[in-house]
Amino acid sequence: MKTKILIFLFLAITTSVFASCQSSSQGQNDPWTPQQLLAPADLAKVLNDPKAPQPTIYSIGMQAIIKGSIDIGPAMNTENMNTLKEKLNKLPKNTQIVVYCGCCPFSRCPNVRPAMELLKNMQFTNYKLLNLPQNVKVDWIDKDYPMNE
Amino acid sequence: MRILILSIALLLIVGTISAQSTGLEPGNKSPEIKLPTIKGDTVALSSLKGKLVLIDFWGTWCAPCVAEQAELARLYNKYKHSIFTNGKGFEIYGVSLDAKKTNWENFITTNKINWVQVSDLKFWRSPVAKTYNIEALPFNILMDGNGIIVAMNLHGADLERSIAKFLRK
Repeated sequence: MKTKILIFLFLAITTSVFASCQSSSQGQNDPWTPQQLLAPADLAKVLNDPKAPQPTIYSIGMQAIIKGSIDIGPAMNTENMNTLKEKLNKLPKNTQIVVYCGCCPFSRCPNVRPAMELLKNMQFTNYKLLNLPQNVKVDWIDKDYPMNE
Repeated sequence: MRILILSIALLLIVGTISAQSTGLEPGNKSPEIKLPTIKGDTVALSSLKGKLVLIDFWGTWCAPCVAEQAELARLYNKYKHSIFTNGKGFEIYGVSLDAKKTNWENFITTNKINWVQVSDLKFWRSPVAKTYNIEALPFNILMDGNGIIVAMNLHGADLERSIAKFLRK
């Protein structure tokens, strides 16, 4: 009986430790799922294919560098968030949307969270965050992916 | 066979030499930068020849860069008239990767930054980001009076130690 309790305790402790480690490596409470991260190579492929359905791309950072993207400005500013809200209000909820900032890694970026939260709260169903782990230079420009003029 | 080995060895040597002379590393010349200030006049990095120069790559959108400006101001005021073994006086050449002039100008004015500040306002598309292989901000380079790189990407106490090391005793 004693051993059974001990085994149970051991399992309970290891499981909880494991669970807490996992949640911290996952990026805490980011308002996106891993499935909502779009690889730059995948977006570049779509942009280079005139026959592929093109997503609506919003730059919610400093500059609309990526080809075809619409310049909203840093989403950390209320004014820019209102601009984004106005534009989103005109779109069907299932519109294919991509947002990106690219100033810095997500952990330091002040813009990606407010924009992704807005899309979630407005109940869009097909939106992605462009996964630029370092920044838009290293993960887009240096790879010669398509850019705005 | 011997010729083949010799030619491979020769290719390797030539490759290493050319990489060394162009590579961004201590001992090599810092590439030239010519960019406009807020007022619109161009200031070349080479015009600071003779001084110990810190090239500070930053942006108002980069939180750690902004946090570092107070420390740079302290270093600037402390060392600007100092005599170094490899330069007379200390200057900072701030290169901003901002995209909007208002953000850049407001920050400099509000914080009374009094060292050289230039920008092409091209954010990560700035050609200097490519020339200097910048992969993250903040990034800096310390160069001597001849424009030779003496240290790279030092911050906080490490940066001051590197500057003070060159003080003429």
